[in-house]
Amino acid sequence: MFCEKAVELVRELHRMSDGQLPAFNEDGIRQVLEEMKALYEQNQSDVNEAKTEGKTELIPTIKFRHCSLLRNQRCTAAYLYDRLLRIRALRWEYGSVLPTTIRFHMCAEELEWFNQYKKSLATYMRSLGGEEGLDITQDMKPPKSLYIEVRCLKDHGEFEIDDGTVILLKKNSQHFLPRWKCEQLIRQGVLEHVIS
Amino acid sequence: MADALSEASDLSGGEESQEEDVLTPAELIARLEEAWLNEKFSPELLENKSELVECVMEQLTHMEENLQRVRKGDLKASVHRMEIDRIRFVLSSYLRSRLQKIEKFFPHVLEKEKSRADGDPSFLSPEEFAFAKEYLANTEVYLKAVALKHMPPNLQSVDMLKAVPEPCLDSFVFLRVKERQENILVEPETDEQREYVVDLEEGSQHLMRYRTIAPLVASGAVQLI
Amino acid sequence: MDTQSYMPVPPGVGMEENFFSLDDILLSHERLPCRTDTAFPKLGFLEKAGETHDIPEGTKMEMPMWLAKGLYERKRHVISVELPKVYREGWRTVFGADANVVDLHKMGPYYYGLGSQMLHFENAENPEIAQSILQTFISRFRRTMDSSQNAYNEDTSVLVERLDCLERALFRSGQNGLNAFQLWERGRASQLTASSLVTNYRKRKITELQS
Repeated sequence: MFCEKAVELVRELHRMSDGQLPAFNEDGIRQVLEEMKALYEQNQSDVNEAKTEGKTELIPTIKFRHCSLLRNQRCTAAYLYDRLLRIRALRWEYGSVLPTTIRFHMCAEELEWFNQYKKSLATYMRSLGGEEGLDITQDMKPPKSLYIEVRCLKDHGEFEIDDGTVILLKKNSQHFLPRWKCEQLIRQGVLEHVIS
Repeated sequence: MADALSEASDLSGGEESQEEDVLTPAELIARLEEAWLNEKFSPELLENKSELVECVMEQLTHMEENLQRVRKGDLKASVHRMEIDRIRFVLSSYLRSRLQKIEKFFPHVLEKEKSRADGDPSFLSPEEFAFAKEYLANTEVYLKAVALKHMPPNLQSVDMLKAVPEPCLDSFVFLRVKERQENILVEPETDEQREYVVDLEEGSQHLMRYRTIAPLVASGAVQLI
Repeated sequence: MDTQSYMPVPPGVGMEENFFSLDDILLSHERLPCRTDTAFPKLGFLEKAGETHDIPEGTKMEMPMWLAKGLYERKRHVISVELPKVYREGWRTVFGADANVVDLHKMGPYYYGLGSQMLHFENAENPEIAQSILQTFISRFRRTMDSSQNAYNEDTSVLVERLDCLERALFRSGQNGLNAFQLWERGRASQLTASSLVTNYRKRKITELQS
C-alpha cells in the first residue's frame, strides 16, 4: 500500500512518547517526497487521458492516488510539527544553549526555527515590566524556602551567587544556595536538590 | 502573604504609591491569584490582564528596592525575599500558562484577534500578539522549507486553522461561585436527558462543562479552582 | 502541568480527527475489510494476489481507514466498508454481558477510536454500535480508574495489558495524579528535579556507549 514510509516516520516519533528528539529522518522524508512525486505524475497523465480520451473509468484510480498524496502530506507535516513541539520543550528544559548531541539530531531548518523561537521568547520576556524583564522559564515550581541544599553531580567550575561570593561547584560537593540561582542547573542535571 | 506585602509597601513610604491605583498590594495579589487560577484551569485563552501584570511587576521592583535598604541578616529581609519569590512564581506561572495556550492554539488565537470588533477588548497583549504572529510565521516558514515546497503544487500549503486543534470548550472544570447566578442552562449529556436550569449559590462549588460557564469566568462571577 | 514541557497534539474527540495528532494518524492506519464497488485501473499491484493490471470491481481487500474514508461516498458506489468483527452483533452481545472480561488491547487497540470512526460509514447498525461503545466504556471505566488510583510504586504492565489506547491514556493520567499527590503528601512536591528529557538523553548516551 502507498504511504507506508510516511506512517513509519510517525511511528518513529510515537515510540518516543516522553518527548525525546530522535535524529531527523532526512532519508525517510526524501522517500515520502519521491513517492508523492511519482503519484502526482501518474495522476497528471491519467487526468489528461481521462480528459482527452474520455476515460472516466480512471477517475477512481485518480482519487485513490489523490487520497494517498493527502495522507503523505499529513503524515509528513505531523512528523515535522511534532518535532517542533519537542524542540520547543528543549528550550524550556535546557535553556537557550543546546548540547551538541541534541543539535546533531536537528536539521538546518530546525535549528533556524529554534533560533527564531528563542528570539521571540526573549523579546517577549524582555517586554515584561522593568528594564530586565521577567524570565518566565524560571520559577517552575512554587518556592518553599529561599535556600536549598544541593549536591553537585559533575564538575561545573566557578559559580557566582547573589552577594558576589564565588563558589566552586565540584563533583560531589554539597552547598546551601539561593534557590532561584540553582533552578536551571538542577534541571540540566548539574546539581541535585537534596531533601533531608 | 498579604501581611508581609503591605508591610513591604509600608517600607517604601507613602509618597511613592500610585495615586490613581485604588488597589492595595494585598488586593493586587489577590487579583493576580484569581487571574492565575482561571488561566490555569480554563481550556481557552482568557482576556489579557496587562495592567494587572504591569502593576505586579512594579510592585516587585518596589519590593526589591526596599529590600536593598534593609540591613543584611535582618529576619525581615528573608521574609520579604520569600514574599518576592512567591509573587514572582505566581506571575511567571500565569504568564507561562498564557504563552502555552498561545503556542498550542496560535492560528485560532490570531483568527479571533483578527475578527475582533474595534471597540472590543483584545485577548492578547501587544507583546503576546507579536509573539503569536512570529510563532505562526516561523512555523509556516519551517514546514514550507523542509518539506512542503518539495511537494506537488497543489499540496504546498497546510491550512493551520484546520490542522492545529481548537481549545476544547466542552471539557469539565471545577468552579466556585462568587456571585449568585440564576437560571444557568445546562445542556443534556445523553439522548434521554433534557436540558435543565440550575441556580448557583454564592460560595458553592461545582463541576461543569467550561462552555456553560465561560461567560461567568469572563465576568468574574465564578472562579475556576 | 508546568513541569512537562513536551505537550503533543491530543487525538480528536469522538468522530473528529486532529490533523497533527500522531495518535490519530496511527488510528487511521488501522485496516478495515472493504469491497470495491468499481474497478481501479492500473492499481492491481497493490492487491494481495497482485497479478492483474487492475483491481476489479467486487474485490475484497483490506484498506487502511484513511483510504476507506477518502474513497467512500454515500451516493456513489466506490467502495463498501464492512464492520470489523468486534463491532458486529455477536461481539456486541459479549460486551453487553460483561465488558470487563474482554481484552480490548488485543481486540483494538483502538476499540473506541475506530468504533467512533466507523460511524462515518453508512450502516443500519450505527445507532447500536454507538450505544455499545459507550456502554462498554462506562462499564469498564470504574475498574480502569480504581486500578490507576490504587497501584502505587508497582509494576503496572499487567493492569494496562488489556486496556484500549484511550483507557491507557486515562490510566496514565490517573497515575500521574496519584504520584503528584504522594509527592505532595511527603512534602516533596517542591523538590526541584532534573528535566526528564535531560535524564533520558543521558541514559541513552550511556546505552549507546555500552553497545
